[in-house]
Amino acid sequence: MLIKVNSAAVNGLDGYVVEVEVDSIRGLPGQSIVGLPDAAVKESRDRVKFAITNSGFEFPPGYFTINLAPADIRKEGPLYDLPIAIGMLASSQQLKPGMLKETVIIGELSLDGGLRPVNGVLPICMSISGNGIKRVIVPRENADEAALVAELEVIPCDNLLKAAKYLDGKETIRPHIIDIDSLFSEKLQFDIDFCDVKGQGLAKRALEVAAAGGHNILMVGSPGSGKTMLARRLPTILPPLSIKEALEVTKLYSVTGLLSSKKSLITVRPFRSPHHTTSDIGIIGGGRNPRPGEVSLAHMGILFLDEFPEFERDVLEVLRQPLEDGVVTIARALSSVTYPAEFMLVAAMNPCPCGNYMDATKNCICPSFKVQRYWGKLSGPLLDRIDLHVEVPRLKKEELTNLPKGETSEVIRQRVIKARNIQIDRFKEARVHCNARMLPKHVREFCKLDTEAENLLKSAVLHLKMSGRCYDRILKVSRTIADLEGSADIRSAHIAEAIQYRAMDRN
Amino acid sequence: MTKASVDIGRTGEDIAAQYLTNKGYLIIERNFRSQQGEVDIIARDGEFLVFIEVKNYSFRSIGTPLGAVRKSKRESIIHAARTYLFKNKIKGINCRFDVLSIYNMSQFQLIKDAFHVN
Repeated sequence: MLIKVNSAAVNGLDGYVVEVEVDSIRGLPGQSIVGLPDAAVKESRDRVKFAITNSGFEFPPGYFTINLAPADIRKEGPLYDLPIAIGMLASSQQLKPGMLKETVIIGELSLDGGLRPVNGVLPICMSISGNGIKRVIVPRENADEAALVAELEVIPCDNLLKAAKYLDGKETIRPHIIDIDSLFSEKLQFDIDFCDVKGQGLAKRALEVAAAGGHNILMVGSPGSGKTMLARRLPTILPPLSIKEALEVTKLYSVTGLLSSKKSLITVRPFRSPHHTTSDIGIIGGGRNPRPGEVSLAHMGILFLDEFPEFERDVLEVLRQPLEDGVVTIARALSSVTYPAEFMLVAAMNPCPCGNYMDATKNCICPSFKVQRYWGKLSGPLLDRIDLHVEVPRLKKEELTNLPKGETSEVIRQRVIKARNIQIDRFKEARVHCNARMLPKHVREFCKLDTEAENLLKSAVLHLKMSGRCYDRILKVSRTIADLEGSADIRSAHIAEAIQYRAMDRN
Repeated sequence: MTKASVDIGRTGEDIAAQYLTNKGYLIIERNFRSQQGEVDIIARDGEFLVFIEVKNYSFRSIGTPLGAVRKSKRESIIHAARTYLFKNKIKGINCRFDVLSIYNMSQFQLIKDAFHVN
């Protein structure tokens, strides 16, 4: 008897319905799965066999063909175990499921019939709601994530038997509901705070500007001067995620399988700090079955690259395109997917290999060609795309002991949020949401200068031989500085501060 | 193969046939051969047509009976089964592969639905 069960698959961040067709003929016993299954899907044959017998059902005789339609798209992963098992049971008339038409079923089976969580549940649920699909049966661990889509009835199941009984109408399962607002009402809690860092007023100010406008920033300083410490505290001054942003970030973590079952929605901006040995594919995403890379996992958050020039040159250069566009398109022979990648790049580096180049107290022992080679790793186009360059000098001994504690993160964050709100208001109609993402037309519209400021900028561009992109970046940063001050116009003081953050163009 | 071991096999299959008959199997054919395969016993068990491989043991040391039915042996049985179905124009009957192991001509272990094609 032919049975059709709806399941789903995810391509990039879009889910779509996959129809699992199960039919059998009498004859020699066996099963085959068609519809471009990958190894994990093919193996489901063995898992399904034991899950069925260990759930107290009879493994049906005859030769089964299982077709995953549409047949021309590759099917990955173990999420078809449950629909295949349900299909085989229904096909052998061990259960008579109603409502298969409007139900999507996903889940990996273990040999004892239990259900294991799968990846990509949130993007699947977001894409399939509507289209006549009313409910989704998911493993219990995925229930929170699925329930973020309010339009769908989410039926959490622990094992095959429960799911079968539910579909058979013999047991009712209460749809899982989650209160999104309550997830957001939890106050952000951090173990670290900006007041832990002594001194470094300039760097702190630069980080505040970066946070307020979503700008990229490069910190240069001797070892131990506090670059890493500052960067790690940046998330504590960023504005909270909106619900829409949080869902977008959570989708990315869902397909990557990084979502923990306890925390279904990511409400804190991600902070990713990949090691400098990370490959270009690890940074940008990709692989045979494309996966989001670090740039996408840092979407709406921070990508912190410590020891910036130590990264492979290829890795640094691939950053250029997502820095500009905010998305990454990964084209492979088998598929092409686009992942969002709107991140703040925070880079930290020493001024030279030994680290003492600009230090007042210690002498640099590097030969000059080594310093040059070190800096040569950072190409002009890459430095161009980093809005703020800031030096983080080593603190003197008396500063370390005597300086009072600085401002707390909470105080700084309130200022940042205020500046961000001005930007949200400004870009209400546009699709950008912060100053750093302004398009050229926005720059022309929102970054008008008075003559004094214009002259200052012109002479700076002339003297420092800046590129056109760099000119735009200065305008964007000065817009943010003006927003922090609550000033509607960009004045020469704002421009001056923005130019000051182009330290590395001057060298 | 020595005459003695063939004899053991023969006698083993006789005992097996007896055992299966007692279990309610209806023996249809014994030692069916195709070009590339053979199956020891073909029998009817309720609605199923069953192809049975008989394994005789007189000592325990060489592993489990199911382990003795390796891939090449399974393929041989499956080939014989397909040939049998084709020759006798049998369609629409559910089939099964069983393995019967006999230890010391006296202890039986019947594994139903021991393997599938593919």
